[in-house]
Amino acid sequence: MIAGDTISTRKKRALFLLLMPITLVLGIFFLIPLGIMITYSFLEPGLYGGVEWNWYPYNYGRILGWPLNDYEEFEPIYLAIFLNSLKIAGLTVLFSLLICYPAAFWVSRMSPRRKNFVLFLITLPFFANLLIRIYAWLLLLRPTGFINSLLQGVGLIDQPLDMLFSNFAVIVGMVYIFTPFMFLPIYANVEKLDYSLVRASQDLGAGPVQTFLRVILPLTAPGIIGGSIIVFIPALGNFIVPAFLGGSKVQMTGNLIERSFLQSRDWPFGAALALLIMGSVVLLLVIQFARASRRESRGAA
Amino acid sequence: MLKGLKEGKLWSILFNGYGLLFLTFLYMPLGLIVLYSFNSNPINMAVWTGFTLDWYATIFGGASVEGTFDAAFTESPERIFEVVKNSFLVAIFAASISTIIGTATAVALARYKFAGKRFYQALLILPMLVPDIVLGIALLIFFVGAGFELSLLTIIIGHVTFLSSYVFIVVSTRMAGMDTTLEQASADLGAGPLTTFWRVTLPQIMPGVIGGFLLGFIISLDDVVITYFIAGVGSQTLPLFILAMMRRGLRPQITALAVLILIFSFVVATIGLLLRNRKP
Repeated sequence: MIAGDTISTRKKRALFLLLMPITLVLGIFFLIPLGIMITYSFLEPGLYGGVEWNWYPYNYGRILGWPLNDYEEFEPIYLAIFLNSLKIAGLTVLFSLLICYPAAFWVSRMSPRRKNFVLFLITLPFFANLLIRIYAWLLLLRPTGFINSLLQGVGLIDQPLDMLFSNFAVIVGMVYIFTPFMFLPIYANVEKLDYSLVRASQDLGAGPVQTFLRVILPLTAPGIIGGSIIVFIPALGNFIVPAFLGGSKVQMTGNLIERSFLQSRDWPFGAALALLIMGSVVLLLVIQFARASRRESRGAA
Repeated sequence: MLKGLKEGKLWSILFNGYGLLFLTFLYMPLGLIVLYSFNSNPINMAVWTGFTLDWYATIFGGASVEGTFDAAFTESPERIFEVVKNSFLVAIFAASISTIIGTATAVALARYKFAGKRFYQALLILPMLVPDIVLGIALLIFFVGAGFELSLLTIIIGHVTFLSSYVFIVVSTRMAGMDTTLEQASADLGAGPLTTFWRVTLPQIMPGVIGGFLLGFIISLDDVVITYFIAGVGSQTLPLFILAMMRRGLRPQITALAVLILIFSFVVATIGLLLRNRKP
């Protein structure tokens, strides 16, 4: 009895020591900063940077149109930029999905040795520096870049195509950067796909399209949803890709946030914009969580 | 039967062709950088004028570029050495601290039953779900408000907050597939928890721990967004240095520097991935 007690206290002490570092790090340097950021978004911007500790919901008014006071004006451009960011992130998800989905089937049919090697090849570009990968697309897309030189060289076009500094360039760059993020969850799902169900569907007389839509697609849906979320989140808040591939023509909310912090020094406004992004992410996760738990309870019943 | 076979063959040709395109999409841009870094044309990298190693030489101070078109864009080797040193200092400290914290957390969650376990599991995923820019500005506000001077230290702290989660996941994956009978045997034979950990658990999860360290090391070394917000005037890292160079224009020196970084990242990542794939 006494021995049991000492073991249990020792266990408790070990657990406490093991968990203390992560609790301190995430508590002090993650949760508290996020809390302060949320607080800042409701404070008045100071005259020379910093904040005044007054309740001030009007930072959101500038973005969303409500609430407003005598000094803050609704500027629809911020909402337009946010909607464009949603569009760019959405299209990035769509295109990387279209690219990765067939590729996942391609890899899943390989022999184990070849499979491991190809998986390694697909994962590796993730470890190339983000800036280097953007730099490569600058070299490819710019007027004197590789694609234009090639097309002009073979005589397909006379004038260089204006590809850089557009939504197109930003989306291409993001699809390239996030491909491993989309590929891996889909692949994990496709790999486990039960082909006996596919054969059963065919035996029962379903055509290839029907089999795909009614059997394969629903079975791989968790991977598709997982990959889409993992790509959408960093795409929505991105500011480095639009800064280089979008130039001054394509603005995303990330660029606005960067500017309010490092140039105009209006921190509460920047924090409000950041919360707009966070809010979208949280909404997305809540919807997904609700869907997943509903499916789970349905499966249990 | 014959029809089925033919159809299968057609599908496999289509899939292989598509797969080749997919890999080309992934590697062509990177291959292009490598090719361009050896092009002697200083004005337009897309036009090949001959093979040169000059761009690499300028990085190490081997070739003088004074008076040439590129002089204004070229950074001194001392400056490059300094930012590389900063990056390595941050990556080594951030990855080491994160490895200790992440491993401790993984052991706690895998080997102990306690209330609040689900809370910790959710908390550890959060830093990976929060967009980089949000974490970056939240840390900036916090550091400035708490009176920290932005420096290498703030960058290290910032990296530890999200790298710990990465290490935790890599080590947890390793522990999930692990046989616990050895640990039980060690405890039954009278070894304390600490001895059991050092002599039995740690050797078994070591590939995961090293893999987590290397992953953290590479992510820290490559991080742009979070570092961008919490770096001070005197604490520029290599990615921030490249960012500043890219803003001034695309020069062959950047291309050569990019290739060197690419090679280094790929070597470290390869070691990490090989370790992770080794079966427990």
